[in-house]
Amino acid sequence: MELLHNLAVGFGVAMTPANLGFAFIGAMVGTLIGVLPGIGPIATIAMLLPLTFHLEPTSGLIMLAGIFYGAQYGGSTTAILVNLPGETSSVVTCIDGHQMARQGRAGAALAVAALASFFAGCVSTALIATFAPPLAVVGQSFGSPEYFSLMLVGLIAAVVLAHGSVTKAVAMIILGLLVGLVGTDGNTGGTRFTFGIRELTDGIDVATLAIGVFGVGEIISNLSQSEQHRSVVSQKITRLWPTADDFRRSWPATLRGTALGSALGVLPGGGATLSSFAAYALEKKSARDPSRFGRGAVEGVAAPESANNAGAQTSFIPMLTLGIPGNAVMALMIGALMIHGIQPGPQIMAERPQLFWGMVASMWIGNLMLVIINLPLIGMWVQLLKLPYRFLYLSILLFCGIGVYTVNNSSAAVLLAAFFGVAGYIFYKLECEPAPLILGFVLGPLMEENLRRAMRISGGDPMIFVQRPISLGLLIAAVLLLVIVALPAIRSKREEVFQE
Amino acid sequence: MSTDEHRTLQRPSVQLLTDKQVLSGLMFMGVAIFGLWVSRDYPIGTTLRMGTGYVPRFLCWALLGLGCLVLAQGLIALRSAAQPAEPVGWAWRAPLFVTASLVVFGLTLETLGLVISIFLLTVVGALASPALRWFETIVAALVLVAVSWAIFVIGLGVTIPVWPEF
Repeated sequence: MELLHNLAVGFGVAMTPANLGFAFIGAMVGTLIGVLPGIGPIATIAMLLPLTFHLEPTSGLIMLAGIFYGAQYGGSTTAILVNLPGETSSVVTCIDGHQMARQGRAGAALAVAALASFFAGCVSTALIATFAPPLAVVGQSFGSPEYFSLMLVGLIAAVVLAHGSVTKAVAMIILGLLVGLVGTDGNTGGTRFTFGIRELTDGIDVATLAIGVFGVGEIISNLSQSEQHRSVVSQKITRLWPTADDFRRSWPATLRGTALGSALGVLPGGGATLSSFAAYALEKKSARDPSRFGRGAVEGVAAPESANNAGAQTSFIPMLTLGIPGNAVMALMIGALMIHGIQPGPQIMAERPQLFWGMVASMWIGNLMLVIINLPLIGMWVQLLKLPYRFLYLSILLFCGIGVYTVNNSSAAVLLAAFFGVAGYIFYKLECEPAPLILGFVLGPLMEENLRRAMRISGGDPMIFVQRPISLGLLIAAVLLLVIVALPAIRSKREEVFQE
Repeated sequence: MSTDEHRTLQRPSVQLLTDKQVLSGLMFMGVAIFGLWVSRDYPIGTTLRMGTGYVPRFLCWALLGLGCLVLAQGLIALRSAAQPAEPVGWAWRAPLFVTASLVVFGLTLETLGLVISIFLLTVVGALASPALRWFETIVAALVLVAVSWAIFVIGLGVTIPVWPEF
């Protein structure tokens, strides 16, 4: 039983007091930012990237992962009680969750959300443990041409599944690839796009870019909107336990949500948000009486909440096994690995079993902690919602500044982050999604390196990409994806899904 | 001249410059042209031995093409839209003061130390919000100084000067 042995190793790593502590910090911070609208997991993980520089890589990743799935738990609290999504992945939870709260069943809605998330978290952790090792074996047989094609498919799929204009998203990827090129070219020694600035010759750090575009950009965007009115459901939450009828209705919805979320999470561009939207749509379509939805149907809470947690966790699979980030959070995780000099890819599992299995085990522990953090302490989180944004953003801004400084040890990086903050605000105003930018930025240098190696293998003949069967298959998949999304029928359907 | 074209011409050209899609296209094209200009002297090399400029120039041309495409999509959408799209409104207060606070922080951290630069960041940053209250801001700055000192200097042992060095 290799799996059991590996899990034992993992629990050995995850159960050390230090790592339990970091899983707890991650889960707490995740819940906190999940509850608070106006700060999301991407910005938080970007801000905390510099902190992980001072930690063991395993502890750092355990904490960052906790923030990501913790935010999925916390997001539902705000959605149910305030009718404002704490995170984009809990937008659909507002619809039925807040209705339940207005009917005096807030406690039941919160409990169903937490329990459905916990169930999904357990299942998807098991899925990672089962399917990641064989996938890593496949990944190890890949050469440079296959890798290049795989990254290309990953980038294109991420765009197709994301919402908004596909052309803009592809342009944002290329912009990210270009930003990734800034600095010294490792192969020729020449500098690119450094404008004679000494600090740029080492390239731009992923934390600086992400903190600027997501952290600072988010603050500017939030401040330039008029403050939303928050109507917290003020009644006391008395009955936390759902009724027997709630259980009977929730468990099949949770099963469906978990299955759908797990599948969508693995896909590039998938993850928490897409999963929750798809799960809600599925419940509504398959329900015997769809008119119940929007009026406090408990399935409308159970399905998206289980799906977003499952999707958040299975999106770790391609990142950990192939080194391919499916969404912006995974791109930052790769950044965290690189800060420690760990090359992401299929060799991680073989070379650093402690890191991989420790993280998997910590996910299960973290989910257990989250149920405990969320249910009995719900009153405390609700109080936090009364904190005005004008206090919050100053702390975020300071964390951005110190974080960027400590990771680079340079004041120039802080100025650069300010520049990227303005860029982030412009992207927000022009509705250019910044997530593809980070994906392109992280994958850019890896793609260039693999392209160069592939050209050396083939003697400069680009036909190598179509002569290798696996690479050819991946490229065909990429072309098919682009063709499909360009078809008018699919296009309108796609817009419909994201409209809902 | 078709009626469609006539309608577009009647619209003030200002609308072109407030449309999200049109502006996005122009932004991508601008970056691409700037990139091509900066990389004009980078050696390109051959496919086998790629020079410094091979990949960047290829990407800039691709970005230029995509920028044109986004621009074209925007112009077509403007033309066929029955209602004029909501124009992009730019705020100036938040972008200006948030950016300024970080710039001030970055410029003063190494010379004036953590305590003073946090005060400067908080005060300049507080100007970004319309709901500015001086007393609150000073209290917030004091709390932030204490918290960051505890986390970064004591907790993580980061080497940041705390007080000004003369």
